[in-house]
Amino acid sequence: MSSRKKDLRLNSVSAGTEALFHVILCLFSLACIIPFVFVVIISFSSEASIREIGYSFLPKSWSVEAYTYAFRKLPQIWRSYFNSLFITVVGTVLSTAMCAMYSYALFRPDFRFRGFFNFLSFFTMIFGGGLVPTYIVCKQLLGLNENYAALIVPLLVSPFNIIVMRTFFKSSVPMDLIEAATIDGSGEYSTLFRIVVPIAKPGIATIALLNALAYWNDWFNSLLYIKQNKILQPLQALLMELQNNVDYLNRMAGHLGAAAINEAAKLPTQSLRMVLVVLIVVPIACAYPFFQRYIVSGLAIGSVKG
Amino acid sequence: MKKLLALLLALTMVIGLVACGSSTPAATKPAETAAAGGETPAAAPAEKTLEPVTLKIWFHGSTVTPDASEKVLKEVNAYLNEKLNVTLEVIWGTWGDFDTATVTALTGGDDVDMYFTCNWSANEYNKYARDGYWVRLDDLLPTCAPELLDTIPQGIWDCAVTDGYDGKGIYAVPGLKDTATQNCWDVNGTLLAELGYDVDAVCAAGLDYFSPEFEEMLQKAKDLKGKDFYPLLIEAAVLERMVTHSSIITGDIGSGNVLSYYYDAEHPSKDIGSTIVNKFATDEFAKFAAKTYEYAQKGFISPSCQSVATANDYRTATQSTGAYLIGTQSYAYGCEIEYADARKIDVRMVPETAPYMDCTSGQGAMVAISATSKNPERALMFLNLLNTDSKLMTMLNYGVEGYTYNTNADGTITFTDERSNYSPWRNGMGNVRILPPTASEGLTYWKDFAAYYDAAEALPMGGFIFDSSALETESAALANVYAEYAFNLMSGAVDPAKVLPEFQAKLEEAGINEFVAAAQEQLAAYLG
Repeated sequence: MSSRKKDLRLNSVSAGTEALFHVILCLFSLACIIPFVFVVIISFSSEASIREIGYSFLPKSWSVEAYTYAFRKLPQIWRSYFNSLFITVVGTVLSTAMCAMYSYALFRPDFRFRGFFNFLSFFTMIFGGGLVPTYIVCKQLLGLNENYAALIVPLLVSPFNIIVMRTFFKSSVPMDLIEAATIDGSGEYSTLFRIVVPIAKPGIATIALLNALAYWNDWFNSLLYIKQNKILQPLQALLMELQNNVDYLNRMAGHLGAAAINEAAKLPTQSLRMVLVVLIVVPIACAYPFFQRYIVSGLAIGSVKG
Repeated sequence: MKKLLALLLALTMVIGLVACGSSTPAATKPAETAAAGGETPAAAPAEKTLEPVTLKIWFHGSTVTPDASEKVLKEVNAYLNEKLNVTLEVIWGTWGDFDTATVTALTGGDDVDMYFTCNWSANEYNKYARDGYWVRLDDLLPTCAPELLDTIPQGIWDCAVTDGYDGKGIYAVPGLKDTATQNCWDVNGTLLAELGYDVDAVCAAGLDYFSPEFEEMLQKAKDLKGKDFYPLLIEAAVLERMVTHSSIITGDIGSGNVLSYYYDAEHPSKDIGSTIVNKFATDEFAKFAAKTYEYAQKGFISPSCQSVATANDYRTATQSTGAYLIGTQSYAYGCEIEYADARKIDVRMVPETAPYMDCTSGQGAMVAISATSKNPERALMFLNLLNTDSKLMTMLNYGVEGYTYNTNADGTITFTDERSNYSPWRNGMGNVRILPPTASEGLTYWKDFAAYYDAAEALPMGGFIFDSSALETESAALANVYAEYAFNLMSGAVDPAKVLPEFQAKLEEAGINEFVAAAQEQLAAYLG
């Protein structure tokens, strides 16, 4: 197509270059897709096949045993699934709302303490308190302990997202529009929700996607704050725990001796671990198409205006 | 105005940082108060009526689902309420908690009363005792845990003595479990018979790594099974220790265990000098490395065994299919029966050394009382009961009768399917000898178990614990050099004729001589 209309398009390149780009991009896409396909294949491989020939694209025999085991024997998987969905939905809504409102205030040049609040978010991006002080503040001061809040609150505000969002407001929402709205009698809230937010949708969608990913993939907060009430563990934490167990037993095999072998036998099989990976990846992969429209249009807005 | 505000904020943050910087030593403060409480032990706690308390304990290596935990703890607490007026809350920690979760909880001063601890994960027992995170138990033991004091043999109490924050003493209750180490050759009897050997005779005679017979066996297996079969299934570090008859030194985990203590293979308690040397400069090590390289060159050792990344997975997988002739195994009593069941072959364990007891096995699984505990006496009373009361230990370790196990007519037990949902690490809880035997273990299991471990001789170095805190730079540098070379040499991946001198030079550069000298000096001082 591009070769026929070559002369009509300003930014077209020669057919050879285009082909080369296509090859490069195809290779890149394959590099992204193949590992996932591989994981899916392993999750459907029989345990005997993994033991004999290791991971392979063409296992000796197929089996859905790991899936049936996961769904029948591990009730915690369903609960963790729910937990992950719950914290992702609630966390994304809250954090996106907070981020959008915080950065909107920072974007308004008539906000008096702009510099101060800018500094406040920027400073924490560069300097952190470190793990233990953060833990003490979260757990003892804020009571983020063995509850859903412990999985949601620590990730609520991301300075990076605030800066991205502020820049987005700056580049896509003209100040004149806000002034016009004010002259027409629109109050602050009405201006924000009825005028600014619809314009900033692509930016908000991008932030929402970033937040959703962060919540969906978070396991560290669960490791720190969910110890006793493990029913609250999200799916990622469950997988991470399994993987940590396997790694640790391997590392300590020399010290634990015979015990390590017995304990390793209790852990889920390799195909079961891959089942968990599939379960984790599929829902978040499904979220992309919903956001994609906005992300693409967000990019387009940037380029048109620039 | 803005600038003023910003300045104010920056100031609060700096002050905050300073406060955080001092928060770690502050966390150790409760240790002082607890120790002060320890000096004036509570007068005979059994006499007065006990206040109801809630105790929280953090176990290690558990596979326990929330549902199963709730069911079992309900029964446990009904029993504990009646006995000690205690309500128990359990954190079913998994493997590797000491990497992040426990460490954060400890430094953050969590309200956990008791922690599982040991010395092999990150030397945490000795390290945290030194830093004041554990309560010293010496004064509390006679009043709060007299039965416990009698139950655990003196030799194991000796192993628990460490140089802690409140002086030399016991900072955790050691578990009465597999408290000895013995290195064995794990022989595939089925394959050996197939090769035309008299399995009983070969196993009774013992195996010698350097003998031509050993090599001949491996060669025959290789010839029979073909090119892709690797008869010698090794765990490099274990192989080195078993062939050179040496033990690791407690407290040396930071350097990757470069130190070794040599003992007499037949009578580990016999004093053969008690010197710590740079083992990589010894003739024994050179001989071992050369032999291993030779075996690797002949195709006896799988390349998968020679890479840190794949060695453990490969070994576990190969063991489970029985595709080996001779393997290395740090022995646990009765493990050959389990392995034979799991691998569907005749598994024989041929001892290379006699079983010995050292600090590493004595400190293998312990429960320490946290300095943040508000009721250290009650926690110790709980540990006393846990380690001496068969009913409590069985409930906590195996679950509830009729739910996770059933008792057979002869007194042994058989697990139900629910056991997979309630499966704490058996050895991580304490005295396993008061548990009922399972049907596959047999009625006399624990008696034989006790006899085996009680017969183990203590190494002449006794309860020596190396303190490398003054040599952290050397320790870290040695760990780097060790990681780069030692595994390759011990698994036969590289030619020692070329690599060993290079390795030795690097070790010397990293300060091995000072490190060994310091260890030797400490050992001499310890032995007096």
